[in-house]
Amino acid sequence: MRFCNHSKLEVTNGHFRDTISIQRRCCNRLTDYMVEEFMLSLPKLKTLLAICFFFLIENAASGDESNTDNDNRLNDKVNFTRDVRPILAAKCWNCHGPDANTREGNLRLDQREDAAHVLAAKKDSTATLVERITSEDSDEIMPPADSKKPLTKKDILVLKQWVSQGAEFEGHWAFQTPQRPEIPFVDSSFLAANEIDHFIIDRLKKSNLAPSPVASKETLIRRLSLDLTGIPPTVDEVDEFIADPSEEAYENLVDRLFASSRYGEHMAVPWLDASRYADTDGYQNDRYRYMHVWRDWVIMAFNENKPYDQFIVEQIAGDMLPKATLKQQIATGFSRNHRINSEDGSIPAEWHVENVADRIDTLGTAVLGLTISCARCHDHKYDPISAKEYYQLFAYFNNVPEWGIGPNNGNSPPFIEVPKSWPNLSDDENVAALPAPVKLRKAREKQDGNGLRRPQAGQKNTVMVMHEMKTPRKTYLLRRGQFDTPDKSELLKPAVPDALNHIGETPTNRLELAKWLVHPDHPLTARVAVNRIWQQFFGMGIVKTSENLGLHGDLPSHPELLDWLSIELVANGWDIKALQKKILMSSTYRQQSRTTAELDAIDPENRLLARGPRFRMHPFMLRDSMLSSSGLLVEKIGGVPAKPYMPPKIWRAISNNRYEQDKGEQLYRRSVYTFWRRTIPPPTMVNFNSAEREVCVVRKDRTNTPLQALTQMNNITFVEASRFLAERMLKHSDNDALAIKFGFQQLLARHSTPQELALIQTAYDSFHAKFEQDQQAALQLLGVGEKARDPSLTPSRHAAMTMTASLLMNLDEAITKE
Amino acid sequence: MMHQPIQDYQNQITRRHFFSRAGIATAALSTLLGRDLFANDAINQEATGRVTRLPHFAPKARRVIYLFQSGGPSQLDLLDPKPQLKDRFGDEVPTSVYPDERKTTMSNAQSSFATAPSIFKFNRYGKSGLQMSELLANTAKMADKICIINSMHTQAINHDPAITMMQTGSQVPGRPSIGSWLSYGLGSETSELPAFVAMSSRGSGKAGQPLYDRLWGSGFLPSVYQGVKFRNQGAPVLDIYDPPGVDASMRRTMLDHLSKLNEIKYAQSGDKEIQTRIAQYELAGRMQASVPELLDFSQETKSVMQMYGPQVRQQGTFAHNCLIARRLAERGVRFIQLFHQGWDQHVSLPGQLRKQCRDTDQPTAALLHDLEARGMLDDTLIVWGGEFGRTVYSQGNLTKASYGRDHHGNCYSVWLAGAGIQGGIRYGKTDDYSVNVVENGMEPHDLNATILHQLGIDHERLIYPYQGRDFRLTDVHGRVVKEILA
Repeated sequence: MRFCNHSKLEVTNGHFRDTISIQRRCCNRLTDYMVEEFMLSLPKLKTLLAICFFFLIENAASGDESNTDNDNRLNDKVNFTRDVRPILAAKCWNCHGPDANTREGNLRLDQREDAAHVLAAKKDSTATLVERITSEDSDEIMPPADSKKPLTKKDILVLKQWVSQGAEFEGHWAFQTPQRPEIPFVDSSFLAANEIDHFIIDRLKKSNLAPSPVASKETLIRRLSLDLTGIPPTVDEVDEFIADPSEEAYENLVDRLFASSRYGEHMAVPWLDASRYADTDGYQNDRYRYMHVWRDWVIMAFNENKPYDQFIVEQIAGDMLPKATLKQQIATGFSRNHRINSEDGSIPAEWHVENVADRIDTLGTAVLGLTISCARCHDHKYDPISAKEYYQLFAYFNNVPEWGIGPNNGNSPPFIEVPKSWPNLSDDENVAALPAPVKLRKAREKQDGNGLRRPQAGQKNTVMVMHEMKTPRKTYLLRRGQFDTPDKSELLKPAVPDALNHIGETPTNRLELAKWLVHPDHPLTARVAVNRIWQQFFGMGIVKTSENLGLHGDLPSHPELLDWLSIELVANGWDIKALQKKILMSSTYRQQSRTTAELDAIDPENRLLARGPRFRMHPFMLRDSMLSSSGLLVEKIGGVPAKPYMPPKIWRAISNNRYEQDKGEQLYRRSVYTFWRRTIPPPTMVNFNSAEREVCVVRKDRTNTPLQALTQMNNITFVEASRFLAERMLKHSDNDALAIKFGFQQLLARHSTPQELALIQTAYDSFHAKFEQDQQAALQLLGVGEKARDPSLTPSRHAAMTMTASLLMNLDEAITKE
Repeated sequence: MMHQPIQDYQNQITRRHFFSRAGIATAALSTLLGRDLFANDAINQEATGRVTRLPHFAPKARRVIYLFQSGGPSQLDLLDPKPQLKDRFGDEVPTSVYPDERKTTMSNAQSSFATAPSIFKFNRYGKSGLQMSELLANTAKMADKICIINSMHTQAINHDPAITMMQTGSQVPGRPSIGSWLSYGLGSETSELPAFVAMSSRGSGKAGQPLYDRLWGSGFLPSVYQGVKFRNQGAPVLDIYDPPGVDASMRRTMLDHLSKLNEIKYAQSGDKEIQTRIAQYELAGRMQASVPELLDFSQETKSVMQMYGPQVRQQGTFAHNCLIARRLAERGVRFIQLFHQGWDQHVSLPGQLRKQCRDTDQPTAALLHDLEARGMLDDTLIVWGGEFGRTVYSQGNLTKASYGRDHHGNCYSVWLAGAGIQGGIRYGKTDDYSVNVVENGMEPHDLNATILHQLGIDHERLIYPYQGRDFRLTDVHGRVVKEILA
């Protein structure tokens, strides 16, 4: 809700000065009215202020940084976290922040003790800070003009007020261990199913909002099925759920979906995005690598409900656990999923640094929700992470016996062999293996003077893992992050950033680091995990910037709820399914998603959750849903990546490789198994905002574009799916209307209304008339895709129903989780 | 609160997203194909005084056609004449000039680094007498419109990081490409075509390097700003054609019913995203008509077709893409980028380079002439160049007739033309060997800052907040090179 900065109406006269900000979306007309009225008669201002009050409340209540714009607050106590820090962070800390190298005038404004001298009022005069920010002398004014970061009048007011109120600093919320909050009291007029609802309703009440009614059972089963398995329910499943009047029907459904092996395939996707999992190396020729065994490990971990602490420890340091199993060793592929350069001419030392940096970046974003990589070249500008601390973290991941560049096809050492029996390993097989050391060979011996050397390549039966060198590599701070500029004056030992260390002891190796991450007092790990799960279900995290909980990240909309859930997660032994069940059982989750203009005006992003979530499906879910509804989906867990339909010459057109599409079953596997080539990712997936898997990504925008419409209408995958949904519809009933009703229910889980049915029937009749006249056209359409049509169906009818099924699959509701 | 310029910019962007969600049909269309909202009066009225509009100042260029030459074209053989090197044929390049650390591992173990002067002639062209290689004789006819920059330099010495640097301002993937920054910042002037189109081609040269989707990707910007890659084989835009057996009237029937059904849903649900979706389907329908028309050259005159050369009719060639580029420019596409592969001549450079230039020189010249004839060169910025240069020493054997050249980042050459660029001049200078920049060095950030400047954008104020930081195409660098502006 950043809208509120736009329409600032400044009202000034001799006696009265105030600035009123209005959330513009909700009161454009009101603004106009106010301007006009004000011109006419100043005394009406009071009335107008009263009208505005409602909007100001909403604005202040939004949990958004923008509420600093409410100048009426200036009579109140300024809040450092909400009002002051954003100004300091955005406009001052670049030169007066944690980074010692760019600090000007030896002044830092991020800690009280260092700033006290400019914040204290001087005799008969204002504090230096106030003097400087209000100076009219262009040599004196702060921030200086060339920073292009001038303070607004509002910023100045806030800072002045803050200084006059004693200039208090607060530590950043996300760096403090969460404290169990009180559960807010909610009276019985609200249907609170569990604690989550208390937090949500309490917050809604502050904005004079009430929750929405519970959604229909049809909506709920579809929502749950999509959220937990990524696949919509069948017609029979819907009917069965609706027919079950028992109180436990909903909970039973939740449990049934948790038990489905589809659950792990679906839940793995955001983690694969965060882990930048892919099937190629990602640079230049972008050759193959073999990491699908690691991907299977993730799917199994979710299906087994592996506690999140173990999930993290095994991936960060499974190889170092006492009596490590092969599976625990395979889990460490997490830190090997980074891209690997193997371009001719590359300097190994340079790319080795990039590999390690990517590990830190991923750890930072995926586990800690921090932008640690900012500290690679200099002290972090906003968060308390120095460049030295960055390289101390670097030291944990710097001891892998690797060669900076890759073999240019296949896995890069260290890698281990995977037994043929994977994943059903015998006890004897499930023992960590010793990776072979790096063996280098000259890459281009025939070319005189070519100094390139490459490591041996791991073949299809291997997987890349982490491993520790007997003698750790020496780690130094790299000036400007460059591999060839180490600061050799100080050898760095592994350590975690001071500001995050609530445990006291310094982890000395990667395994201790992993355990430190999941220590119950860790301020970030649980919050970040909870926030991402919340984002998955509701479309947005409690902290919107799920990639950054640091000082420049957004503030949480429900800070107490986030802390409560995080504490619950830890207290329940990091049980992910238990956490998810708590969310799914809440009334908050079960609300209908219908919105109104009024609600949309107050809370356009639905951050307060006065209604249920409604948003377009993730591209994997979208494709899987259509394959499933059409009966084409081939369900089989794990294995080598599948190569489904791609545009002709998808790789050849711009690279030196050729895409060889699979045949048969592999065409219809779930999207999580689709071969992922990093430099040319599947275009239909990218069109619908999938992560590109080049670097760690935990949040993507959801766009709505004409290219998506073209894909859904014309892409071979979707046309073939509509052919086979049509086949199912026609086989369901000889009666056109009943056939259409069946297809409708399969996609949307609800029955069509008579009005909808009539429209669809008209479309069908029109298609049918066309295909009756042109059988050839019918056969052409029925020839799209590899799977042959059922010749017992009349082509004109089948083709017309195919177009009808395509119409249904293109409905907004069919591609939306609501 | 963010500081003022960022906040102002943020406000604008928020506004666009607001409209895209608000489902106001025209505004939604504008947003999604990036129409220039700020030229739209209805929307300007909504803006309040605090909002700084883009462009930041009056632009010289309305659009850019960027002719990217992928692989590292040899500055020594094309744009940076060093006639005095003829006398040093075969002499060792001194390590004082070319330090070993900057040599790639492909040639750093050579026993000799013999000077390889270009075997190509450099002539003077136009009134300005600008010197260019005989290989670019056609392009050189426009010498008086061209500004050659000899002082480009980059840290990267490998293709992937170097081309990623040129395109995104960072060697490490993950950031938006220059075209997506522009469509985010400026939008386009068309509602039927994307704001940013990328095309690729390869010619008869064999020294090709792969391209990657990230080169026209949107990085951390919303993917609506990514370049639409026109495919060089088959349907130019993915899934633009209806499936076989489906004709336009059937598609119309489908779209009409889809729209009515979605309207019913909207009335029931209130979600404005549904309105946007309805508009997107209509737009997709219009694109299905406008893209084939774009690619239909039947209305082009014979002389125009001849000017671009015989390959113009062949999809996937540079000539074909040059003509499409002009047609896209006419239709309001803001940023058009051609990637021509095949400039990576480690061995047999002279023969390979002749082929490369045969494929590209004539169409490049034709594009410049064609734009000029249509009065469009004045507001179209043309950029020609690759990701780095090539070594003065021969990679592999040096003979009188042939040599190879390895990657070279310390200096390389590009040229600009049109839209407020001073023609007939040379900017920046390299040493006698064309190894190091000795005067007016320019890094990719400076080039990008200058391109943005011609479009009316202050590169320091085109900002997107991500991961708690305000990102720019030019990172924390970039200088507008005003010396080359008319």
